[in-house]
Amino acid sequence: MITITTQVNGVPRQLSVRPNQLLLEVLRDDLNLRGAVEGCGVGVCGSCTVLLDRKPISSCLMLAANVDGREITTIEGLGSGETLDPVQQAFLDHQAFQCGYCTPGMIMAVKGLLYRNPRATVDEIADYLSGNVCRCGTYLEVMRAARAVIAAQVETTG
Amino acid sequence: MRRFELAQPATVGEACAILAADPSARPIAGGTALLILIKLGLVRPGLLVSLRKLHPPAGITWTPAEGARIAAQCTLQEVVDSPIVREHYPILARACEVVANIRIRNAATIGGNLAHVDPQSDPPPALLALEARIEISGVTSTRTSPLADFLRGAYETDLRPGEIVTGILLPPPPAGSRSTYLKFTSRSSEDRPLASLATVVRVSEGVCQDVRIAVGAAAAVPKRMRGAEEKLRGRPLEQPLVAEVADLVAADIEPIEDLNGDQRYKRAVIRSLVLRALDPAESEGTPST
Amino acid sequence: MTGAVQYAVDLRMPGMLVARALRSHLPHARVLSIDTTRAREVPGAVILTRDDLAGTRSRFGPVFKDQPVVAIDKVRFVGDLVAVVAAEDLDSADEAISLIEVEYEALPAVFDPREALLPSAPILHDPADFVDGSGTADTIQPGVEGFEGFPDGNLCCSAHFESGDTAKGFAGADRIFEDTYSCDPIQHAHLEPHAALAYWEGPGSLVIHCSTQDPWVVRSELAYIFKVEPSAVRVIVPSVGGGYGGKLYPRIEPVVAALARKARRPVQWVLTREEVFMTLTRHGASVRLKTGVTRDGRLIARQVEVVYDGGAYAEISPRVVVQNAPVAAGPYRIPHVSVDCHAVYTNKPPAGAFRGFGVPQIVWAYESQMDDMAHALGVDPVELRRKNLYQEGDAYLTGERLDGVGVEQCLSAVAAAIPPIARSGVREGQPRQRLVRGRGLACSIKSTMTPSNSVASVRLDPDGSLQVLASGVEIGQGYTTILAQVAADALGVSLERVRVLKPDTDVTPFDHGTKSSRLTFTVGEAVRRATIDIRGQLLDMAADKLEVARDDLVIEHDQIRVRGTNVVLGIPDAFKARFGLPVGNLYGDAVVQTTGGLAHGTYRGKDSAFWMWSAAAVEVEVDTQTGKWRLVRIASAVDVGRAINPVQCHLQNEGAATMGIGAALMEGLVHDGGQPLNSSFVSYPVPSMEDVPQDFQSVLVEAPHPDGPYGAKGVGESGLLAVAPAIGNALADALPGVRLRNLPMRPADVFAALSGAATQPGEAPR
Repeated sequence: MITITTQVNGVPRQLSVRPNQLLLEVLRDDLNLRGAVEGCGVGVCGSCTVLLDRKPISSCLMLAANVDGREITTIEGLGSGETLDPVQQAFLDHQAFQCGYCTPGMIMAVKGLLYRNPRATVDEIADYLSGNVCRCGTYLEVMRAARAVIAAQVETTG
Repeated sequence: MRRFELAQPATVGEACAILAADPSARPIAGGTALLILIKLGLVRPGLLVSLRKLHPPAGITWTPAEGARIAAQCTLQEVVDSPIVREHYPILARACEVVANIRIRNAATIGGNLAHVDPQSDPPPALLALEARIEISGVTSTRTSPLADFLRGAYETDLRPGEIVTGILLPPPPAGSRSTYLKFTSRSSEDRPLASLATVVRVSEGVCQDVRIAVGAAAAVPKRMRGAEEKLRGRPLEQPLVAEVADLVAADIEPIEDLNGDQRYKRAVIRSLVLRALDPAESEGTPST
Repeated sequence: MTGAVQYAVDLRMPGMLVARALRSHLPHARVLSIDTTRAREVPGAVILTRDDLAGTRSRFGPVFKDQPVVAIDKVRFVGDLVAVVAAEDLDSADEAISLIEVEYEALPAVFDPREALLPSAPILHDPADFVDGSGTADTIQPGVEGFEGFPDGNLCCSAHFESGDTAKGFAGADRIFEDTYSCDPIQHAHLEPHAALAYWEGPGSLVIHCSTQDPWVVRSELAYIFKVEPSAVRVIVPSVGGGYGGKLYPRIEPVVAALARKARRPVQWVLTREEVFMTLTRHGASVRLKTGVTRDGRLIARQVEVVYDGGAYAEISPRVVVQNAPVAAGPYRIPHVSVDCHAVYTNKPPAGAFRGFGVPQIVWAYESQMDDMAHALGVDPVELRRKNLYQEGDAYLTGERLDGVGVEQCLSAVAAAIPPIARSGVREGQPRQRLVRGRGLACSIKSTMTPSNSVASVRLDPDGSLQVLASGVEIGQGYTTILAQVAADALGVSLERVRVLKPDTDVTPFDHGTKSSRLTFTVGEAVRRATIDIRGQLLDMAADKLEVARDDLVIEHDQIRVRGTNVVLGIPDAFKARFGLPVGNLYGDAVVQTTGGLAHGTYRGKDSAFWMWSAAAVEVEVDTQTGKWRLVRIASAVDVGRAINPVQCHLQNEGAATMGIGAALMEGLVHDGGQPLNSSFVSYPVPSMEDVPQDFQSVLVEAPHPDGPYGAKGVGESGLLAVAPAIGNALADALPGVRLRNLPMRPADVFAALSGAATQPGEAPR
C-alpha cells in the first residue's frame, strides 16, 4: 500500500491506496463519494470528471498514488441541498440533464471551464465541453446553462 | 485493473536504474495511454515506475540562440498555455490543444505522448516540422536524438533499456516563417486524427526559402516530406505548383487502411490538407513570426 | 445534480461480492471443457459455469428461450458468456478469470444475414433445445403469438403483412422504383453500463436491484429460470443512467442471480464498456423497396422486404418483425402494400430493442427513395410527400381509423424552418466549390406496442400528500415529472405534494415496460384515472362534512372549496371528519389496457393504440475534397398529441435527433470475422456537443389523440426516425448524383460516392 496526502473537497486526507488503484476507485469505494461514475473507462466520456488542482481530469485514468500532495474536488464538494453551486443551479434552471449519469462530470467540466476561462464564448464552451458525452443529447440545455453562469459572473465581476 | 507495483523515484538516475534492473517494468507519467493498455490487457507490467515526482520539476525554457527546452513532464495543457510555445511554436500549441479532451491534456505529458508513439497523435508531426530533438536520459548519461530517429514505428522508439525521455529540444524557428497544423477527423469532433499536416514555410522575396512539411496519423509514424519540400524550395508559392506538391505528398505516404478509410481516401484527405495549408487562396494557416 | 442520485452501480451491501466474466473469443465454437481447478484456488472466488445450472431452466429470452444463462454446449458470438466469477474485489475476480481454462472446437461461423439463409450456412441453434411446442413459453410479451415453426434454420422469425393487391398496383404504375438500403448495427452506449445486484433471502426468494427498463419482465424471466413463483422474485429499480432500449429485457440479471445463488451472498455485476458493446445492438438491416407511382406522383403500390440481422439470440426480434411489418410502407396512403420482415441468426452480438425499435432502418429506405422518386418525376420532395401523406381520420392499411395525425404539420414545420438552398440556376459546367451545401427532409410513422397493460395505484395521505405507485422507469425521459403533473392536476393539488415511487415489484403494480414511447399514454392515463377516483372519494367526504352537494365542491390550492364561496375545508380536516383523526388513506387504482391486434390472414384490425409522426429537415455542408460533412442546422418536428410538459418533450426530441445524427455520421459496429473492431468509445465515438449544431429547432406539433391523457401521445422515439434520411437527402441535394444507401454515411463513403458519381468537377449526372 502507498500512503498519500491529499485534500478532498477541502478536507485534508491521508489515504492508504493500492499501487494499481485508480482515483475513481478511491473516491467511490474508500471515500463513499459516488457522484463521479465510470462510463467508458478510457477517458472519452467524462462521467468520471473531477478537478485536480482545479483542472478537470478523468479519474478513471488517474493513479490514486499520483494525486499525492494535490487537491481533489468532486461534485460533492460543490453545493448540496438548499445551497447549490451556481453551476448546479443553472443546470437545474435550464433542465440541463436527462438520465443524470453524465451530469456530475458535466458540472465539474463547467467548473473547470470557469476557472480557466470565465468569459468563454459559445465556441469556446462547445470546444471545452465537447469532451463530455451526454448520450441523452442534452447539449443545447447544457450550453444554455453554461452561458447563463458565465453571463451572471461577467455581470457580477464587471 | 491488473495488479502491479509502483515505484516513485525522486531522480532521473534512480528511475533509470529501476527500469534498467527490470526490463518488464514500464515508466508511467500521466498514465492516460498506458493505463488503457493495461486495462485492455495489452501490456502486463509487474512494476510501474512513476515519473511524477522526478526532480527537477516540469518547465519550459527559451533562449534566442538555443531555442526551447520543454521538460518531458510538462502536461500537454501546460505546453498549450506556455507563452514561449505560443509565441515561437504556435503549431505545437495548436497540435497539443487538439489532443483528445481537456481532461486528457491536463494529465498526459508531452514526454509520455512521444514515448508512446501512438500513430494517431497530434504533437509528433508538429514537432517533426519544428525539427525537434529528443533528450534521452539513462542511468549515467544523457543523449539527444532527432525526433525522426526516435520514432521507430508504431508504439516503438529508440529508447534503450533504462532510458527515459526527459526533454524536447526545439531550435529557434526560421525568422518570418508561417506555420500551420491541420487535424482531420472523419467522425466526431472528438475523434482521433485520420490524417494531419504540419507545415512551416518561410517566404521571402516572393519565393519559399524554408519549407518543412510533415504528415501525421495516416501512416505508422509521422513523416517529413522531403521530396515535396525540395520541389517548393526556391520557387514561388502558387498554383499549379501547390497542387503538384499536394499530389506528391499524398503519393509519398503509405497510409494504413482502417475503419475510417482506405489508402485512396486517406491520400485524398492528405492532398486536401496540403492544398488548404499551402494554397495562397486559403487562409487557414496559423501565422507566426 | 449533487451526486446523490443512486444508480445500480452505486449500490453496496455488507458481504457483497463483485463479478467479472469470461467470454468467448471465438464467434462460433463447441465448448469441449471448462477447467476451473486453478481459478478455484483464488481466495474467495465463486465460479459459475454450465455445471452450476442444475435445478434451473438454464435458458431464457423474452420470446424464444434460446439464450443460455452461461454457455452450455456452444458459444455463438465473440463475447458470449462462458463463465462468471464473483470475488471480494475485482482484482481477485480478474485473477480467477485468467486462470479458467476452456477448450473449444471452432465451428464455421456466418456474419451476413442473407448468407446465413443459404443452405450451406452453419446453423446456430437447435430449436429442440428451447422450443416446447408454442415456441414462446411463459412469455408475458404481447403480440408475439404465432411463431410455430420458428426458428427455421437460421431464420429466427418472420412476419408478413399485406393490404390490397400489389401485382395489380404495380401493373397500374407509370414508374417503378426498386432499390436496396442498409444500415450497420449500432450500439445504445447508455453511459451507465448494465448493472445488477442480486441476493437470495432463502432458497426460493430472490431480490435483485438492477438497471432495467422493465422490472416485470425481469421478474417473470427470473421466476421462469429458477423455477420459483413470480411473486418470490422482487425486482427493485434504482435510478437508471440511460436505456434507449438497451435495458429492456433481461441481459445480465439471470447470471447475477445464478451467481448469488451459488455464492449465497449478494453479488453485484457491472459490465465494462467493452462488454456493453457485446451485450446488445441495434439490428443491422437491409431493406429491399419497390414502389409503383403514377406520373402525377401518387404512390400506388409498395413491396418491402426487411432482413434484420438478429445476431446470436432472438431477444426481442420476434416482436420487431411483427410490429414493423404493418408500418414498413411509411406514412403514405398506398392502396397496395406487401411487406415481409425477417430476423436472422448470425454469429454476432444479439440485436434487440433500440429507440425506434427497427423502424429507423425502414424509414432510412423509404425516405431516401422518396427523394429519388421526386427527382426522377421532377416534383418537389415536399409536394410529393404532401400528396401522399395520411390525414386526420383516414383509414389505415389495417382498416382502423387514424386519430391524431400530425405528420403533414410536422413536415410543413421543418420545411419552413429550413428552406431549400437558393441556387443560381445551372450547376452544370461550373467548377465545383470545395464546400457545398444541401438541404434534405424526411418524415415517418411508427406504431406503439399494442395491446399493452399499465396499472397505477395512487395514495392520498391525510397531510394532503399524494404517492404515485407505478412501474414505469425514469430513464431520463421525465416520466416522474409527467406523472406528478398528471396526478397534481387530476386532484387539484400543487406539484410539490406528489411523490412518484421508484419501481419495486413488491410494491408498485404491473407495467408492460418503459418502451415503445408508451408511458405517458398508458401509465399517465392510469394515474389520471386513479387520481380522479381519489378525488371523488375526497369530495364525498367533504360533501358529507360541509353538507353540500359533491358537484358544488372544487379542489384548488390543496384545499376543498365550496364553489363561489369562501368556505374551505383542508384535506386533513376531510380525513378527520371521516376517521375522527387525521389518519387513514384514500386509495385509487386504475388499469389501462390498450387493445388491438390484427386478424390472421386478413391483417385487419387495430394495429396501434396511437401513432407517432415526425419529420426532420437539415442543411449540410460538404467538403468535396474529402467527403467530410457537417450539419449547419437541423429542425425536428414531432407530433406529441398534447405537450403535458413541453420542456421534457423538447428534450426527448432533441436527444432522439442527436442519436439520429450519430447513426447517420459516425456510428456503426464493425467486425472482422466476428471479432469486434470498435468496442470502446475511442473507436466508436458518439455525438459530442460540437457535433450537434447550435442552430437546432425542436418543434412540437399537437394533433391530440382521444385516448391519451389530455390528448397526449408518446414522444420518446419519434425524433430519431427521420434524421438519417433527411441527412442523406441533403447530401444528395448538395452533391448531384450522389446517393448513399448504407448507414452510416462516413466521409470516406461520401468521398467514394462522389468519385464514382462525378467523373469531372462540375458534372451533374442527375
